[in-house]
Amino acid sequence: MTSRRVVRAVVLAALLGWSIPGALAAQAQQPGSISGRVTDAAGLPIASAQVNVVGNAQGALTGSDGQYSIRGVSPGSVIVRALRVGFAEQRKTITVSAAQATSLNFTMLSVAIQLNPVVTTATGEQRRLEVGNAIAQVDAAKTVAQSAVANMGDLLTARAPGVVVFGGTQTGAGTRIRIRGTSSLSLSNNPIYVVDGTRVEGTTGSSTLSVGGTLPARVNDLNPEEIESIEVVRGPSAATLYGTDAANGVIVITTKRGVAGRQQVTYTTEQGAHVDNNSYPDAYRGWRSGTVANTSTASNTVQCFLTQRASGVCAQDSVTSYNLYNDPESTPNGVGYRQQHSLQVGGGSEALRYFLHGQWEGEAGVLKLPEFDQRYLARKGLTLRDEEKSPNYLGRVTGRANFNVALSPKIDVALSSGYTAQDLRLPMSDDSGVNGVAGNTYGGPGFKYNLSPTGDTLFGWRQITPRDVYQTFTNQNVQRFISSLNGNWRPNDGLAFRSNVGLDYANRTDTQLCRFGACPDLGGDSRLGFKVDNRSNFFTYTADASGTYMRRLSEPLQSKFTAGVQFNRSEFDRNGASAIRLPPGAVAVTAGAVKSADESTSDTRTFGGFVEENLAFRDRLFITGALRTDRNSAFGANFHTALYPKLSASWVASDESFFPHFRWLNQLRLRSAYGASGVQPGTIDAVQYFSASTARTESGDAPAVVFSTLGNKNLKPERSTELELGVDGTFWDNRVNTEVTYYNKRSKDALISRILPPSLGTGATARFENLGEVRNSGYEALISAQLLQRTNFGWDVTFNGSVNDNKLVSLGGLPKIVSSSTQQQREGYPLNGWWTNAITSYGDKNGNGIIEYNANPTLSEITISDTAQFLGYAIPKYELSFTNGFDFLNRRLHVSGLVDYKGGMKTYNNTERIRCASRNNCSGLINPNASFFEQARTVAVRESPSRTVGGFIEDGDFIRFRELSVAFNAPEQFTNRFLRGRTLAITAAARNIGILWTKYKGVDPEAFGTTGDAPSEFQAFAPPTYYALRLSLGF
Amino acid sequence: MTPSISARRVGARLRLVAAASLAIMAACKSNEILNVTDPDIINPTDVQSSAGATAVRLGALARLNAATSGGSTSSEGLFLLSGLFADEWNNGDSFIARQEVDQRVITTANTFLTDVNRNLNRARLSGSQAIQLLQQYNPTGPVADVAEMYFVQAYVENAMGEHYCNGLVLSTVSNGSEVYGTQITTAAAFAAALAHADSGLALITGTSTADVKIRNALTVIRGRILVNLNRHADAGAAVAVVPSTFKYDMLHSQTTNDNQIWSYNNIARRYSVSTGEGGNGLNFATAGDPRVKTCVGGDAVCVANGTTLKVRDDNSSSPLYVQLLWPVRDASVTIASGIEARLIEAEAALKAGNSALFIQKLNQARTDAAIAGLVGNLTDPGTAVAREDLLFRERAFSLFGRGYRVGDMRRLIKQYSRAAESVFPTGAWHKGGNYGGDVNFPVPQAEENNPNIVAGKTCTDRSP
Repeated sequence: MTSRRVVRAVVLAALLGWSIPGALAAQAQQPGSISGRVTDAAGLPIASAQVNVVGNAQGALTGSDGQYSIRGVSPGSVIVRALRVGFAEQRKTITVSAAQATSLNFTMLSVAIQLNPVVTTATGEQRRLEVGNAIAQVDAAKTVAQSAVANMGDLLTARAPGVVVFGGTQTGAGTRIRIRGTSSLSLSNNPIYVVDGTRVEGTTGSSTLSVGGTLPARVNDLNPEEIESIEVVRGPSAATLYGTDAANGVIVITTKRGVAGRQQVTYTTEQGAHVDNNSYPDAYRGWRSGTVANTSTASNTVQCFLTQRASGVCAQDSVTSYNLYNDPESTPNGVGYRQQHSLQVGGGSEALRYFLHGQWEGEAGVLKLPEFDQRYLARKGLTLRDEEKSPNYLGRVTGRANFNVALSPKIDVALSSGYTAQDLRLPMSDDSGVNGVAGNTYGGPGFKYNLSPTGDTLFGWRQITPRDVYQTFTNQNVQRFISSLNGNWRPNDGLAFRSNVGLDYANRTDTQLCRFGACPDLGGDSRLGFKVDNRSNFFTYTADASGTYMRRLSEPLQSKFTAGVQFNRSEFDRNGASAIRLPPGAVAVTAGAVKSADESTSDTRTFGGFVEENLAFRDRLFITGALRTDRNSAFGANFHTALYPKLSASWVASDESFFPHFRWLNQLRLRSAYGASGVQPGTIDAVQYFSASTARTESGDAPAVVFSTLGNKNLKPERSTELELGVDGTFWDNRVNTEVTYYNKRSKDALISRILPPSLGTGATARFENLGEVRNSGYEALISAQLLQRTNFGWDVTFNGSVNDNKLVSLGGLPKIVSSSTQQQREGYPLNGWWTNAITSYGDKNGNGIIEYNANPTLSEITISDTAQFLGYAIPKYELSFTNGFDFLNRRLHVSGLVDYKGGMKTYNNTERIRCASRNNCSGLINPNASFFEQARTVAVRESPSRTVGGFIEDGDFIRFRELSVAFNAPEQFTNRFLRGRTLAITAAARNIGILWTKYKGVDPEAFGTTGDAPSEFQAFAPPTYYALRLSLGF
Repeated sequence: MTPSISARRVGARLRLVAAASLAIMAACKSNEILNVTDPDIINPTDVQSSAGATAVRLGALARLNAATSGGSTSSEGLFLLSGLFADEWNNGDSFIARQEVDQRVITTANTFLTDVNRNLNRARLSGSQAIQLLQQYNPTGPVADVAEMYFVQAYVENAMGEHYCNGLVLSTVSNGSEVYGTQITTAAAFAAALAHADSGLALITGTSTADVKIRNALTVIRGRILVNLNRHADAGAAVAVVPSTFKYDMLHSQTTNDNQIWSYNNIARRYSVSTGEGGNGLNFATAGDPRVKTCVGGDAVCVANGTTLKVRDDNSSSPLYVQLLWPVRDASVTIASGIEARLIEAEAALKAGNSALFIQKLNQARTDAAIAGLVGNLTDPGTAVAREDLLFRERAFSLFGRGYRVGDMRRLIKQYSRAAESVFPTGAWHKGGNYGGDVNFPVPQAEENNPNIVAGKTCTDRSP
């Protein structure tokens, strides 16, 4: 198949368009207009309500005074519909006269349901009940106003069923999102992001520099304050028209818009503090004769461990423990501060609406210079630079300007532009090797006054303390501009054209500097300093256009046909430079004695077309059929075009005359959707090529070339198909709303990074082949209810949950893939599951209180499986969240709390593993009071031939008290009288308040970095608790 | 009904838009829109020239470097892993995959094992590709260049025969397509290596510096291969022409590839020079032999040589022994030498029963090495077993850290009828548990992706 099919689709659309004018001509008369006001039951205006003419593309938004006006309406009888979140849909029939204005007012009744009745689809906005999928929505504006939301991760965590968010644990750390499980074995499982119609960069692990496991994610460049709403398109059945790359779901972000009417100015400030309230493990030491605390080295040498004691190798004179986190003198944790100031201006007229926003924010993480280090520096007359004293800091300025211009009743355009400039400092932490903060706190010797090789007291740190660690200065600067221009042209009431062009440009500069004489002394050149300066540019272009033709085919049957084309391009280029051996005072790469440079580029382009037909029968049965076709620059030479079909149905059964009517049932909807989408391979995955190298010869370095990879001419996108079935209902005067969804997603032609036999000698260790099949199936449920609604007291609850069953159905005949010593990919088991030899039993046979390994099975007090066993899922299989909200004082005071549960997964307590295996300071190794389980897993990893870490892969289930907030809206009279303002809102909120329950024995089941699909807690920090006070004053 | 003027205008606009769209679509063929050139890659056609062939030749040398004393900061080369498996190095970090190797219980999924195997095969393939390209696009170029590529192949195939089990595989890529090999014995690997060494030697007839150097290199590797084939007399005769001063080095630099022996031992402290490992191991760290100079972590010599931390990366209670044979990151590593030639001659003499010549050659190897403090004062120990012990000790110290020891230990079993448990480290392993029984590297599990390999049978046997 060639691109001709794409062209054919457009031609078809064009031909349809060709036939339209005749139809139009038959209707052509002098148009009329409809105008009016939308109010609530109390007569107060409702702003931003959508008022549409049913069956055509015409509509308007109400201004702040509730007024609207729809011009250019064909004369005759029309149905007009008003929609607004929090209110019941209103429909009225009126007759529009030629060349005359017709007045039509709406009074909308509030309902408990907080779901927006309108959702954004690939072909434009559509009523929720017309769509065959469940599309999760997050009311971003409201959530931000009422919660301690610092970033996109906070905004999305536990808000939507089926959406699992892995947040970072340090300021500026990235967010990783998985929707309906992991589908791809070898490609990214990240969803794609669309902001105001434009694709934007959303990669995780977005840095060229390592500071351990913590890395930023580009989605966190977006400012939650500027977002009106977020819709999560969860699977291929809904994401079909987003094309290749959308199989992992789409996160559709709509930024705030101005509301016609008087200009509104809002100043918001947020002041917050965050602290690390987590419990970190004690370090132990088993003393034996001849060792003295203040003469011991930093190493945990010459100890007496439990099994040595048992075998008579040594005697434990005593056991000490020390936890530097609990000692104010030694702990690196302090209080992190966050502050934010923003100004929003919005308003305009029907012809021009505007929204302007500017914000500055600064957040310092909890890591500080410990007291003992401060004293040391003072004693030596030394000081650290300010940025080194606060090594984890995010400073950001964002700005946004959105304009909606109605050029004529038939043409409007929207220009949306956002700018972000930020600097992020991250300390060497997590798994940063010898010179990471956490590696040195977790690896301490079990007593306080240990000494460095130069005789300095380390205060329980392993080898290096923050005064040295923080002098490796890592910074990421990002300048990002996201802009889109959206145009709508409605030549007639049945015809509409949309177009959108957009650009997301991000410039990222990663720098890492360690000045001459400043770095920890790790031997070699380490004290001579180094500088890395990597500069990257990301360009993401979007261009699309579509036309929609709506017409009534018969009295009960309404048709909407849409055809369009889309082009996406994602371009990346990077120049990197680094140098070592800096002279004193130098901070630039050019100053280094040994310099190196590198360059990297990638360019991926997708060109696609689509057609979609929506049929509405009596406004209660909605059928949608669609087809998307794509070509992509990364497809193999022998593969040309991907086709993605879609079919969905939505039936409001309760509207049927035959449906029995119950007082407690307001609406019952059945829905089903089937669709396909894909994930594209990498830019050069299909081609065969050599790579440049350098060889050292007797005459110096010489350019060289090495064979890199075989390529795959047959490479095509990974293709996911999904069937979704659902039942939605509203009950008891719309006070209870439910959504229940079943989905079954199959990723066929799954791209497997097929391991190449080493004997081939290729540079690449694997080659992508379309071999595998992965299945994700499960259920999602959302229940929201207004349990009580009184003048002075209201109580609402929201419950959402999901179950995901993930299975690698086929590896295409390949043997199991051993991804690491703890992970394997095997047919019939979940992707990235935990696999290793398991401890099958343990017990103190000889009654000496110590678990011992013996090669003789009858004597051994621990037994271990001969082969690797499946131990569990790596990411949550179940997730539930429960939100309680209470209203007081006539809804002026709102208190809400969010508790969430994640379960069904195992978490690798890799921190404890390394403490037991090589830091020699864990309880199971030394502490006579350690449980047999702690001892058994230590013996397994240290003494059994399997050296299995299976005992450290623990149940990761937990219930977390995620959020608590109190929001107060001051009376207008008060605000007006005393502050001369319009609105005053004050919110106090806390986030990550604590773990309510868990079986996990490590620091925190969410204490891991942000990369990979099998996160493990490896010398990582746990998430801190945020407290925030927010004040918003409107004029 | 007649359409109104405005409706006709709308219709005209629509036709215009549709026609324009079609014109744009036709003009911008999607093939052109989607045509992407990636500057990061070098296309196969780009190396089809004299300069391209030379670049591929240099690439083969870079691959050989990475496979032996190079490697990377995340995964070491053959020399380190080989010495870890034998008695040259102790593990000093927490990586289970390295501990498996040290403990002689290697699993086929071991990532470091796989990396080493890949690097060896990459060098082999690069050598093969370079020969093809040089002969086709630079037929009048120096024959030493082509012969050196045969040396690369011979060296790697011999190393594989020395280290791997029976069942190793030599696949290749031909005309851009994979050609999967079948399992062969180690003897077949040595035979393949010998054929490549002979091919190289047959090419090189000149007397230029390059010719002499490559001829010597090919001669020494040929001798080593013959020793492995138990043809000691042939080996001794072959290498007799190689002067003791000859060296073929892997060169290192900060901008290409550090000497990773220095990096893993002296800086990262993931490796520590061993001493008397598992009872049978030689006392490399403590012998005070000038051929294997060492210091102890934290002592003045170590600090002066840039190793400032006292303990191994894993904080183990065992001391950190640091080698000083390659004290800096760009220290070159000799992988074939005249000293090796003398040792081969000594072994040939031993096998021939000429004890005097045996001792003479050993002493010549010591004196010709020109290492301060090393004198050629060995005397005949008097018994066959003692002579064998002396030979292999001399080889171990003279060739320390360069991938000879595993082959030697296997030869002690195969050619000198020693029991494996009297050769390899055995008994209690220094980090707990006991040594296993491996006497060679298994072919990595990744080779099961070769359609000619039966799953779970990457080795046909694990015999020495």
